Amino acid sequence: MPVIFESVRFGTVEIADEEVIEFPDGLVGLGGLRYTLLDRNPGTGFLWLHCVDDPALALPVVSPHQFFADFRLELAEQDLARIGLEDLAAARVLVTVRATPNPLDITVNLRAPLVIHARRGFQVINTVEGAPLQAPLFVLAETAGTQSAASADAA
Amino acid sequence: MLILTRRPGERVVIGDDILITVMGVSGHTVRLGIAAPEGVPIYREEIWLAVKEENRAAAAADPESLPSRPPTAPAADPGEGS
Repeated sequence: MPVIFESVRFGTVEIADEEVIEFPDGLVGLGGLRYTLLDRNPGTGFLWLHCVDDPALALPVVSPHQFFADFRLELAEQDLARIGLEDLAAARVLVTVRATPNPLDITVNLRAPLVIHARRGFQVINTVEGAPLQAPLFVLAETAGTQSAASADAA
Repeated sequence: MLILTRRPGERVVIGDDILITVMGVSGHTVRLGIAAPEGVPIYREEIWLAVKEENRAAAAADPESLPSRPPTAPAADPGEGS
């Protein structure tokens, strides 16, 4: 059974039933209980986490591992219990993107990643010390220091 | 807002399954113990506010505001010749 929903950004969207991801607690401050991942900027590394029940609610997301070689995710016991997952390695981890006109100002939230597993998703708090709320996504090669430069060019 | 006075070791019960214990008071710091069902997310307020703000900013994006490729330096990038 396909799921069909309206999107302010993408028009009518049709997805397979199993592409629906339940977010029992919604996203912090945004709510939304059912989302899906749309690949509408193919080859860029950006996906859209789109609410199935709200045409206007969608956030660009990326895999932190693709852009931050040293990204680590650690959760408090209470968050681990909430998502009901013992091994985080089994889950897909994404982070929200704060888009800006200048690509160099685009940041991602490494402090509150999204953990998705078995068609369920949770926004969690990364307890790794210093995990930034606004980490620059792109660093020009010549200025790149310890942070890994982007490599989203692969299509 | 309901305001209650509690001493260390005393508790507040919210509903039937959320229990907040005053673990201790030291100067201007209060330590709280919170027992709640596994499904209830618990945040320090400042983190909750900051994440909410990031989520809202992210949700304001439109597809055109995402770059189609990573920005590159004006000068030739030695690691990325093509």
